[in-house]
Amino acid sequence: MNKTKKIIRSFKFLKLSISFLLCFLSFTFSCFAKEISFEVTVDTNKVSLGSSLQLALNFSNAQDISALDLSTIEGFQTRYLGPSTMMSIVNGKVSGSITHNYMLLPTKIGSFKIGPFKFQHNGDQYTSNQLSIEVLSAQAQSSTQSSTSNQPAPELRELSDRLFVTIQTEKERAYLNEIIPLTIRLYVNRLGIRDIQLPEFSHEGFSVAAFDKPNQYQEVRNGINFDVIEFNTAIFGLRPGEFKLGPAQIKCNLITPKQTRSRSPFDAQGGFGANIFDDFFARYETHPLDLKSNEITCAILSLPQENKPIDFSGALGNFEFEVTAAPLEVKLGDPITLKMTVNGQGNLNTVGVPKLRSVDGLKIYEPQIKQEANKKSFEQIIMPMSREVKEVPAISFDFFDTSSGQYKTISRGPFPIVIINSEKEESRLVENKQIAPVALIKEEKFGRDIIYIKDNPGPLKKKNDYLYKHKIFLGLQIIPLLFYLLMAIFYAKKQRLKTDLKYARGLLAPRKAKIGIGQAKKYLAKADMQKFYDTLFLTMQEYLGDKFHLSSKGITISVIDEHLRKEKVAEEILVKLKDIFRECDMVRYASSQLTPVNMRDALNKLEEAIDYLQRKKT
Amino acid sequence: MKKLSWLNKLVFFTAIILISCWNSSLAQAITGNSPVALFYQANIYYQEGKYDEAIEDYQKIIDQGQESGNLYYNLGNSYFKKGELGLAVLSYERARSFIPNDSDLKSNYDYTLQRLNLEPQLFGSWFERMVDGLFQIVSINSMTIFMSVIYIILIVFFILNLLFSGLRRVFRWFIYVLVALLICSGLALNRQISYTHKMAVVISKEIDVKFEPLENATTYFKLNQGNKVLVVEKVKNWLKIKRFDNKLGWVSQDALRLVIF
Repeated sequence: MNKTKKIIRSFKFLKLSISFLLCFLSFTFSCFAKEISFEVTVDTNKVSLGSSLQLALNFSNAQDISALDLSTIEGFQTRYLGPSTMMSIVNGKVSGSITHNYMLLPTKIGSFKIGPFKFQHNGDQYTSNQLSIEVLSAQAQSSTQSSTSNQPAPELRELSDRLFVTIQTEKERAYLNEIIPLTIRLYVNRLGIRDIQLPEFSHEGFSVAAFDKPNQYQEVRNGINFDVIEFNTAIFGLRPGEFKLGPAQIKCNLITPKQTRSRSPFDAQGGFGANIFDDFFARYETHPLDLKSNEITCAILSLPQENKPIDFSGALGNFEFEVTAAPLEVKLGDPITLKMTVNGQGNLNTVGVPKLRSVDGLKIYEPQIKQEANKKSFEQIIMPMSREVKEVPAISFDFFDTSSGQYKTISRGPFPIVIINSEKEESRLVENKQIAPVALIKEEKFGRDIIYIKDNPGPLKKKNDYLYKHKIFLGLQIIPLLFYLLMAIFYAKKQRLKTDLKYARGLLAPRKAKIGIGQAKKYLAKADMQKFYDTLFLTMQEYLGDKFHLSSKGITISVIDEHLRKEKVAEEILVKLKDIFRECDMVRYASSQLTPVNMRDALNKLEEAIDYLQRKKT
Repeated sequence: MKKLSWLNKLVFFTAIILISCWNSSLAQAITGNSPVALFYQANIYYQEGKYDEAIEDYQKIIDQGQESGNLYYNLGNSYFKKGELGLAVLSYERARSFIPNDSDLKSNYDYTLQRLNLEPQLFGSWFERMVDGLFQIVSINSMTIFMSVIYIILIVFFILNLLFSGLRRVFRWFIYVLVALLICSGLALNRQISYTHKMAVVISKEIDVKFEPLENATTYFKLNQGNKVLVVEKVKNWLKIKRFDNKLGWVSQDALRLVIF
């Protein structure tokens, strides 16, 4: 019953699916069988500069029309918003349409024609209607809203007059490595701008510092009030020549109010039927803008070679140089701290350590460098190592004054120093304590030079012949490891012999059998039949017991037969073993007299059986 | 008695043959263009104040593929006397890998650095500095032998551990310590080998270290003769070097010499 129900249900589903498919196909055919109509509409015919309007390209009776490229509409910047499709069934007639929506941002004021647009579909050309749009100035619109402003401002006809970027350097000519302040400004006149990104600009031949925090202020330019966002940085030329800077590029979003039609209460799409919250939440739109400034040129001059000081290290700017040295009264080997400060306007990165002339007996250490906004300081430790040192020599700082275009040298010092004897100090103490002065030992002066050469070459060896590269040395390192491995194997085997009885018996079985056979051979030579068969029987019994881990005493023909068959021993060997058993029993219990030929034969059979069993893996 | 006299004769003649062979080989070794002969000749030149000739002879030994700590020490002294302190530092640095504990070498090296107004420069992290300090006492070969000895002792302890099961707990502690020692010395040796193969000494008086391997590139910093650097990359005739404070830059390869060449 259940099965029948299931079949009926699946049949119904199939029927429904087929009918739905047929409906869909008939609808599709009915849609596209009709002629396509192409219409262009805008949400408003009047728009102010700085606002936007929406353009809709409606294709009736078609749904597979792709968006047209409308990037070249005069007076507008275009942005494609996306498509919307619609299907309707009126009196059984099915129709489908697609609308491609665009956002138009006016770039200048005036009257503009939009369309007619053309497109081709399945070999047919379609043409849209034409629209007229009037773009009003912002003032015109504001005057309609409020007529309070008394002084009419000059009319700005284009968007680029209301929103633009400038780039400017403080100097048009500068020396190599000279700091040049650079300013990029974004001017905005009564427009909503947000998401402003840091400027980018091409600066080949220059090194550019990071931008400071932008300044914001208002500026009147040609009688028009602008909001200005100013980005400041510093650049310096890396090589001589004339280079271009810019255009500076700023990315931002322009916020425009949405143009809404004045809706009548009887408007089919708006009016009382429309959601009042739509207006509240969707009043503004954003337009991404990529604003570009003009280009400027800047000439970079190389430094003159005339009158260039020898110690000039590349410092550029207008600087002051101060030096202090303390303490000036020191013991031999005590440190004196030299503090050198360079401050002023210029590229402090180019300021190197001022040269301190090397003097015999004065040990000079590397300076510690500290750089601030307009100041670079060097703290250097020097140490008098000889009493001959009387002063810290003069220190000079050379720089190129970019304002005068000349090299300048500022010298400070020399600083006279006094070397105090530690003995002197001691003597002073002695005097203070009013004790009779003691003759002091004169400090011994030691000369200093390198120690003499070695008189023999020492162990000469091949160049780069290091032990770690030596193949024999590396090979020898394996020996202890091999030795250890052998020991480990030997130890493991010994342990197994101790703990694994089956293994131990199996290992000892052939040795014991060999001894037994040897003994039997002796009895064979003496023709002692009784002892021979006793030994032969014992040897076979022990061997088989050890080999198969059985009790040796309980080895009988039946046991052999049962166990050896399990081990898949060849029938021929089984027969041989049974023969030996039989012969042994005959001699031992029935006192049968067998010939030496029989004895040799029995011995051979046992040897062959043992040999076979040893070779066979059990 | 007869047998004894026959044995005495055999020993006597063998000794004579051996001595004559040794003498002939010694004579061969110290004559002509042999490294030993060149070394003694160079020492004579040095004594006479002919430093250029001394350097030439010492260099000939190196060109023959032979080297020793004393050879580099004497070469360093010759460069010092000639006034080429950068090359003196380079030679002393090379000598240090053979005779790191030699007090004469230490003294001369320190004095040369003092003359150049340089402080001993240590590179890298605390571990690398520690390793550097260690290898100022031991040579690479000594460290290799030390590692080999530790390894053999470790194997002995493994065997003892196998044989004397009652003392396994004690032996295991020794094994842990030896394994740790072996790993540490292995890491130190590996670091020192890579370090010495990268190390170079500035031989030019003053060189510009540039941002790029180009003649007209911007100078980043300067290096003076005797400064030690690590060579990290090579592009044509330019070497990318690292200073002790990890600053990187490019220099012309003529301005530097690798310690291990």
